[in-house]
Amino acid sequence: MSTMGNSTNIFWQESPVGKLERRKLLNQKGCVVWITGLSGSGKSTLACSLSWELHTRGKLSYILDGDNVRHGLNKDLGFKAEDRTENIRRVGEVAKLFADAGLICIASLISPYGKDRDACRAMLPDAFIEVFMNMPLALCEERDPKGLYKLARAGKIKGFTGIDDPYEPPLNCEIELNQKDGVCPTPSAMAGEVITYLEDKGYLQD
Amino acid sequence: MIVLLFFLIATNGKATNIVWHKSSVGKVHRQEVLQQKGCVIWITGLSGSGKSTLACALCQALYSRGKLAYILDGDNVRHGLNRDLSFKAEDRAENIRRIGEVAKLFADAGIICIASVLSPYRKDRYACRSLLPEGDFIEVFMNVPLQICEVRDPKGLYKLARAGKINGFTGIDDPYEPPLNCELELPQKGNNCASPCEMAEIVISYLEEKGYLQA
Repeated sequence: MSTMGNSTNIFWQESPVGKLERRKLLNQKGCVVWITGLSGSGKSTLACSLSWELHTRGKLSYILDGDNVRHGLNKDLGFKAEDRTENIRRVGEVAKLFADAGLICIASLISPYGKDRDACRAMLPDAFIEVFMNMPLALCEERDPKGLYKLARAGKIKGFTGIDDPYEPPLNCEIELNQKDGVCPTPSAMAGEVITYLEDKGYLQD
Repeated sequence: MIVLLFFLIATNGKATNIVWHKSSVGKVHRQEVLQQKGCVIWITGLSGSGKSTLACALCQALYSRGKLAYILDGDNVRHGLNRDLSFKAEDRAENIRRIGEVAKLFADAGIICIASVLSPYRKDRYACRSLLPEGDFIEVFMNVPLQICEVRDPKGLYKLARAGKINGFTGIDDPYEPPLNCELELPQKGNNCASPCEMAEIVISYLEEKGYLQA
């Protein structure tokens, strides 16, 4: 019977070393900073900058970058809608494990569909910080750091977010990063905004 | 004049060819912060052989030394990341693959990741070993005879399997392929009565010797 459906004969194993112990050890609270936005909006750049700023404050973080995870855990997934959903689900589950381990897990993924991001939020009550890189498509396309917009415009990539696949902006994210008077803030400045939020909410202490 | 032009381009937000470079935090930085090296301790063995018990004891022993460890327990992961998988052979393989990939990420993050998974097939465990740099995959085989595991039967599964209510249960009607070259085998020969704490200390000694408990 247990080979027919999904796991039924499995039990939750308790460990004496729990979340509280790890908080004390690391002097921080685990959480997930979920950076979403178009390709070229600056997600990976912000993730690196944030990770560095946290490191200078003695805090432990880890970046789950959508591209990198697609080379390992999610190498069996493509870009069809259902694969995008599964990609986000798995990253969400892994980010949850990192947060439980006490780390500040920085997930950097386009994650274009609201439903999928909301499902991750539901996995992590009180520990999900959604950061929307609200940069205009025109700017992202001008940057085109990986040459993908060019390929998409030439029809060589189908279903590319922003060109022929939708990006659904968050309706209620914790932090929205925008251009100010047409100028993009520096990665340090943007990381600073996230750090301030984390400090205010008590994540940078046990 | 050129310097001024550069400054103007850099501040108008339309700069596309100026790439911001920043130092990034790598494995070595994390090792320094944690004063340990990340690795994967892969505990394999029959149901009831004591994997989860050892994992807990080891985690506790590491914590008492100020080291950060995290347990990826096969059962727990099957409630979350791997909740879409069953116990058919291909799903067991995928279960192990995903746990291996996650353990790799944890090790890269600097954590001593304790994977406690039945993981019955050699090929699947070997595939996980190959994901990690040499030495960072530490396979611990809980070599406890089937009869003892069955007497323990901590989750009542052997009873169900013998009654034919579970099919493909490892040790009863599905094979367990013991490791041929694991780093540690427990309990050690001639010490069958070792407690979980004593066995945890054996693993700790190995980690100390190999330098994982320092930056």
